[in-house]
Amino acid sequence: MAQELPARMGEWVIGTEAGTVLSCLGLGSCIGLALLDRRCGIAGLAHVMLPGSPAAGAPPAQPGRFADLAVPGLVDALLAVGGMRHRLEAVLVGGAQMFAFDGAGTQDIGPRNEAAVREQLTRARIRISATATGGDKGRSVRVTVPTGEVVYREAAGRTVTLLAATAPTRRVAVPA
Amino acid sequence: MTSYTETQLDALRELANIGSGQAAAALSTMLGHPVDISVPTAVAMALADAVAAAGDPEEARFGILVPVVGEFRAAVVLLVPEQDAAQLCSVYGLEPASQDGASFLGEIGNILGTSYINVLAQMAGMEMEPAPPQVVHDLLGAIIASVLLAHGNDVDMALVLDSTLQVEGRPCELSFLLIPAGGGVHDLLGRIGVA
Repeated sequence: MAQELPARMGEWVIGTEAGTVLSCLGLGSCIGLALLDRRCGIAGLAHVMLPGSPAAGAPPAQPGRFADLAVPGLVDALLAVGGMRHRLEAVLVGGAQMFAFDGAGTQDIGPRNEAAVREQLTRARIRISATATGGDKGRSVRVTVPTGEVVYREAAGRTVTLLAATAPTRRVAVPA
Repeated sequence: MTSYTETQLDALRELANIGSGQAAAALSTMLGHPVDISVPTAVAMALADAVAAAGDPEEARFGILVPVVGEFRAAVVLLVPEQDAAQLCSVYGLEPASQDGASFLGEIGNILGTSYINVLAQMAGMEMEPAPPQVVHDLLGAIIASVLLAHGNDVDMALVLDSTLQVEGRPCELSFLLIPAGGGVHDLLGRIGVA
C-alpha cells in the first residue's frame, strides 16, 4: 500500500521504505527538488520557497526554505541514510510565475528559485536528470520509492512521467 | 519575525468585517442576488500553515488576485471552487473557463477588492488603490504560496484576513482573503490607534 509523505513549504522528506511516495502538492513559485540514489532505492524531496537565506543574523530555523541551505541539507540527509554522492541525480519541478506583481521587485521569484537550486546542484556536482519548470502554471510532483519514478501534474492536466521507474539492478558476474 | 497582539488582530477583524460588508453589498448589486458574509478571521501564522489552512493544496480553484498599491501594500485574493465559479458566471450566461468568463471573474475581483479597499483607505486615512485584477485557474496551494512569497518581506509569518461570501439563489461560495505585505500593516494599525 502506497503511503504518501508530503513535504510542506520549507520542509524536506526522505523516503527509504518501499511503497513510500514523496510529494510536493501545489507548487507555484516554489521548487520541488527531488534527489535520488536509484541504486540503493532511496529518495529525498525538498519544497524550496526562496532563493537565499537572510544574510544577517543567526542561521534560520527551517533551512529547507532557502535554496542555498536546502540543497546541501537534503544531500547530507540522503548520505546519512546510505546514499552515495556520486550516484545522486536531481529532478526539478515548479518555479512558475503565476502572477505579475507591480513593481514589487520580487515577481521573478520562480525563475530565481530555479537558478539558485541549479547553482547549488552545480556546486555539489549533482547532475540534473529531468525538469518541469517555469511557465505560469502550478504543479504537483510525486516520487515513488524505491523505483525512483518521478511524475508531475498541472491543474486539470494529465500526470506526466519525468523519470521512469527503474527495475532493481542486479550485478551480473562477467565471465572470465 | 512579526507578531500581533490579540487587540490588533481584533481590530483587523473589525476592519475586515466592515470591508467585506461593503464588498458583499457591491457584489449583491452586481449579481442581483442577496450575498451573505461570514464573520471574518484574522490569523497570523507560519507561511506553511497559512497554505495548509486554505485547504487541500492540490484542489483546483479559480484565483483572482487584486494587488493593492499605494501607502498600504497588500493583495486581495478571491478563491472560487470550480463549480461555484460556474454558478457565478451563469448569472451572466458565461463559462468560467472562457475568456469572457475569466474577464467577468476579474471584474468581480475588481468590484469586491475596490469596495473593501475603499473602506480600509477611509478608516485608516491612507492612500491605497487596486491594480488590475489577474485571474488564474490553478492548484490552491500554488495560488496561495505564490501570493505569500511574492510579497517577500517576511519569510516567517503571514497575516491573513479571511471571510466567506455566499450568494443566495445561486448557491455558491467564495473566500475572500486580504494579505498585507510586510510592514504596511503596522502603519495601518497605527492609524487606527492600536499600534
